[in-house]
Amino acid sequence: MPVLSLENLTKSYGRVRALRGVSFAVEPGEVFGYLGPNGAGKTTTLRILLGLVRPTGGRVLLFGKSPSRAEVRARTGYLPGELALYGNMTGEALLDYYAGFRPGRPAPLRPALIEALGVERPAFTRRAKFLSHGTRQKLGLIIAMQHDPELLLLDEPTTGFDPLVQKAFRGLILDAARRRRAVVFSSHVLSEVEAVCGRVAILREGELVAVEAIESLRERMVRRLRVRFRNSVPDGLEATPGVTRAEVEGKNATLWIRGDVNPVVRRIAREEVERFVFPEPELEDIFLTYYKREAESR
Amino acid sequence: MTNLLKRLFFRHALFLAAVTAVLAGFEFLICAVVSTIDVPGLLAELLNNVPPAVREFVRQSFGGFSAADLLAFGWNHPIALAIGAGAAVVMAARAVSGEVENGALELVLSQPISRRRYFAGQVVFAVSALSLLSAAGAAATLAGQRVYGLRALDGRTLVLLALNYCLLQLAWYGLTLLFSVLGREAGRVAFAGFLVALLSYLVLVIAQLWRNAAFLLPWSVNNYYSPREILAAHALPVRSVAVLAGFAAAGTAAAFWRFLKRDIP
Repeated sequence: MPVLSLENLTKSYGRVRALRGVSFAVEPGEVFGYLGPNGAGKTTTLRILLGLVRPTGGRVLLFGKSPSRAEVRARTGYLPGELALYGNMTGEALLDYYAGFRPGRPAPLRPALIEALGVERPAFTRRAKFLSHGTRQKLGLIIAMQHDPELLLLDEPTTGFDPLVQKAFRGLILDAARRRRAVVFSSHVLSEVEAVCGRVAILREGELVAVEAIESLRERMVRRLRVRFRNSVPDGLEATPGVTRAEVEGKNATLWIRGDVNPVVRRIAREEVERFVFPEPELEDIFLTYYKREAESR
Repeated sequence: MTNLLKRLFFRHALFLAAVTAVLAGFEFLICAVVSTIDVPGLLAELLNNVPPAVREFVRQSFGGFSAADLLAFGWNHPIALAIGAGAAVVMAARAVSGEVENGALELVLSQPISRRRYFAGQVVFAVSALSLLSAAGAAATLAGQRVYGLRALDGRTLVLLALNYCLLQLAWYGLTLLFSVLGREAGRVAFAGFLVALLSYLVLVIAQLWRNAAFLLPWSVNNYYSPREILAAHALPVRSVAVLAGFAAAGTAAAFWRFLKRDIP
């Protein structure tokens, strides 16, 4: 049985349709990425999953039950995108306060999480309003994970984390998945999702563009390569296998590549190159991939 | 719910302690004034020089100028009313819109606590706090009477006064709680709640001062708060209890109904 399932979920705020027919399911042990630009409807979906926001239509089940039931939330951990902690409480008081909502269940993971995220002693004794954004975010993550929930809903969880903490965070997520915990992880940063997720849903303007395994997404993805040649841009670059589009401006060429990059790299290696930039793909590139697919299927 | 009540206690403790101290201090001070100054003489002299409408208003407010009347007026004084309304309005505004505004409600309600329990926790806390506030005022009047050798109000009358005062504040709490579940900013909600309380008091004053506006009296919630009637009848008028409790219950019930349906945040 899936840990959570959404069927044809819609949410409207007056005339604004925030979600339009969103459907997907997440299984135990799965790390599920929920990708989309700001305002796409990711946070609304997560809030519906927690019973905070009422859907306009469709069906939502967590552990086979309605998300408005408190017993369902006892099995769930949540980190909001805009985390707000009580500023006058110390870190320790905050962890105890939120753990106190589950009186029968201790917080078995708290020590391990504190160690993994490198939360230092002052974070527990100082009031939250005097802590850095990153430390507050770490506390939020501990609040979400300390009781080892069967389902973790994380909304843009790595905001404010430095690269070392991001790495530790990825380790924690993969550990949770090994313990058969399901994780839904929303982000607008593709590389972040790519590093831990097995499957991703891509949301744009409230509509699901795709739900795919990360491997097939990588294969399909159109990526941008920028090259500055020492002399002029060689002819016939766009005819190289894998190149779907090419733009040339003086000695600069921008190539959109799908699938295997080797034929393009070999072709370019025959020339004198001044600069070669092959950045991590961004959401925009993914959308480009799917628009292209839509256009091709028409 | 214990967890939530503990948190509410720490959040409001300082504010409520200050409000309770001010109310108790004020009621104690009234005892000191009544026992040390010839208030009836001063008032009688003052009333000779004011227009008849004002004279009528003072007569209705005080009833008479006995020590008991003056102490009862201490419970109907704008300062005492403002303190109680302030406590009720602030707690109600913070309960939902305050938590929405500071962003904390989202994380709290994502925990295994139902909206019913969250709401019940807020109401239980406010009822307890307002009861204690009223009791502290009554205790201060009792202490003031002992210290200054007054034997104006007996224990039963004081309990009835405190109960009537508490019911009035619960009415403001219920109404402001309704504003709170409809709003997102505690400041605006508190302002609206306090404004209604102020308007209700002004309507009462105008209706008592101006005969042509007397028809407005039943529309003022303060009209059902009647320390003077308690003194006269040695009982809490049923009409007062019914209207104030009904007002509080209707506001709270409407707020509860809306809270179950609203999106968070």
